Amino acid sequence: MELLLFDGFNGLIQGAFYALMALGLSLIISLNSVINFAHGGFMVVGAYLAFTLAPYIGFWPALFAGPILAGILGILVERTLVRSMYGRSDPIYSLLLTFGFALIIEDVVRTIWGAQGVPFEIPAALGSPVSTTYFFLTGYRLFVIAAIGLATIALFAFLRLSRFGIRIRAGILDLETVSALGVNVYLLRSVNFAIGTLLAGFAGVLAAGVLQLAPTMGDDVIMATFVAVVVGGIGSLFGSVLGGLLIGLAAGITTAYYPAASDVVIYVIMAVVLIVRPRGLLGQEGLFE
Amino acid sequence: MTDSDGLPAGAAKRPITRRSVLASSLAAGVAATVSPPIISALGEAPVKLGWIDPFTGTYAALGTSQLNGAKMAMAEINKKGGILGRQLQIIAEDSAANVGQATEKLNKLVDQDKVDFTAGGVSSAEAAAMSHAANLKSMLYIAVGGHVDTITGTDCHWNTFKLCSDTWMLSEALCATLLKKFGKRWYFCTPDYAWGHFLYKGASEILAQAKGTNLGNAVLPLGATDFTSALIKVQQAKPDVFVVFQSGDDFVNLMKQATQFGMTKTMAFGSPLLELEPLAALPVEARTGWGVMEWWWDQPNQPHVKEFVASYRKLYKATPSGRSWLGYAAAHSFALGAARAKSIQAAKMAHAMEGMKLPPEVALEPDGPYYRAGDHQCMITEFVGEVNQKGKYPNLFTVSEELGGAKLAKSPAEKGCKLSYPA
Repeated sequence: MELLLFDGFNGLIQGAFYALMALGLSLIISLNSVINFAHGGFMVVGAYLAFTLAPYIGFWPALFAGPILAGILGILVERTLVRSMYGRSDPIYSLLLTFGFALIIEDVVRTIWGAQGVPFEIPAALGSPVSTTYFFLTGYRLFVIAAIGLATIALFAFLRLSRFGIRIRAGILDLETVSALGVNVYLLRSVNFAIGTLLAGFAGVLAAGVLQLAPTMGDDVIMATFVAVVVGGIGSLFGSVLGGLLIGLAAGITTAYYPAASDVVIYVIMAVVLIVRPRGLLGQEGLFE
Repeated sequence: MTDSDGLPAGAAKRPITRRSVLASSLAAGVAATVSPPIISALGEAPVKLGWIDPFTGTYAALGTSQLNGAKMAMAEINKKGGILGRQLQIIAEDSAANVGQATEKLNKLVDQDKVDFTAGGVSSAEAAAMSHAANLKSMLYIAVGGHVDTITGTDCHWNTFKLCSDTWMLSEALCATLLKKFGKRWYFCTPDYAWGHFLYKGASEILAQAKGTNLGNAVLPLGATDFTSALIKVQQAKPDVFVVFQSGDDFVNLMKQATQFGMTKTMAFGSPLLELEPLAALPVEARTGWGVMEWWWDQPNQPHVKEFVASYRKLYKATPSGRSWLGYAAAHSFALGAARAKSIQAAKMAHAMEGMKLPPEVALEPDGPYYRAGDHQCMITEFVGEVNQKGKYPNLFTVSEELGGAKLAKSPAEKGCKLSYPA
């Protein structure tokens, strides 16, 4: 029983990563109408930029600088590449574009920082267990949970309370009407894309503390992120959080009993959700049908 | 810019449906297994070496190092006149450490690119599969970095030579040191494929012979990113030694997490194959433990090593790792074999390479490694030592003992190898 609790908690930590990635991906899918294959790439870019800056500005400023730069890169990509896809009705174009861009990001990262992983250092104060009994509760893991929680709350507050956030939510529901009301939807979509990539970059910096920081780091997370979005319901931000936590929890518990199935279990959950409730757990009926 | 409805393009209708996201997710999974080939410069009527290694995925850094070593050897071979007067050309393909992709690429290299011999492999599973696929094509193949015993054991083939150690040699080299220095209560962590299972088999046998206690074995899929569940079990078992069979990215992830759990302070860590690439990727506090290197860049008693390291650094701005040397020695092995056989015909070369000793400028380690005639396993030296936590890259390892491969390896008969050449 104790082991089950350990693994359940660990699964939630894993799920929190998926949730943060899924939030960004869901925002981009919902408003930019782009299935962003390069989302894992932005995660890696954010982490590598933080790694590069940390020796000069320290871990804490780099924790924010890396994701912000990933967000700025997101704006540049949206303005130069993604924007030209908006008028096309077939999503295959944006899909191919972002897939190609994901490969470019991976190769550019490999060219700049090398194919082998790099040693990402976290502050010594976070790098040890907070208790000898619950040794798996490390300072860094608690910090990650808190950071992801705060980022999620900040995002929802921004979307609910700020004028710009409310416009983004309105655009997700009906972009044509938002445009007809005189809102600059170009700007709306640019900022939205940047927020999505910023969240990916933030997830990347946090993940680099427990995973190897290598050009392929995003590959391990991107599929689970897509699954989290589908399970939670496309277009639902709460759904993305729920989907991420759910598949993380399931993978964590499965690892305790049958490790070989820990990868498969998330796809089984997706299949079950699609059969029982095709629009996802919190997906809105009629949206994205 | 406006769309067909006269709306600004920025406000264009949503082209995405749930189905398109699902289809894309599926495509992402499939696409992840496909990547473009890397092809070297062409020469005139060259001898072609098909090189299949992972350049993406968990073993990407290791595969890249192997190819870098091979390319350096290619330049040296061509500078000296090539192979039997013809320039050597390497055609490289990405296996992503995937068995299906590796064999598909090998068949493509043989059938379409008409290569003369093949080499590569980091993962044991892909190397074993390529050995078999090459045998079906009667194609000479050097398993550069796939260690599993069976390649030169029960599944040995006349056309396959293995440069890296086998899993038994690594287990032997590691376990003697661990038993001597630490206790006899061990816990294991195994990646769920051939490499891990054979290492576990060997190490647990040696532990049993030493009347030690096997406290458990956590088996995790290759490419696992989260090791918490396994680490919880290990911590509860309180072993003297935690033997980790993971390599590449998996090794880095495991060591990072174990260090944060404080485990590196409460038990010894042992690894049958330490490599410079993953050690360089570890944060300082996670650089700990004992293990085996198949080659080490700092060998003051080997005069050619210094030259090799300097040339490699000049070329790649990095220090060569064991994988770099394996790639380098493998490419040179083809040239040496062809020179001995005076032919590039596979069977003639295979006969010529049996018992072939690598010259000092290629061997770059003591005892003159050679391809044993009975099973085509190369008898390389194992460097046993400790991770150098205080050192800076590339001084991340301190060699304490050099063990000759011939003393560690099981005989071909013990391994179950019976080579038979085609009539």
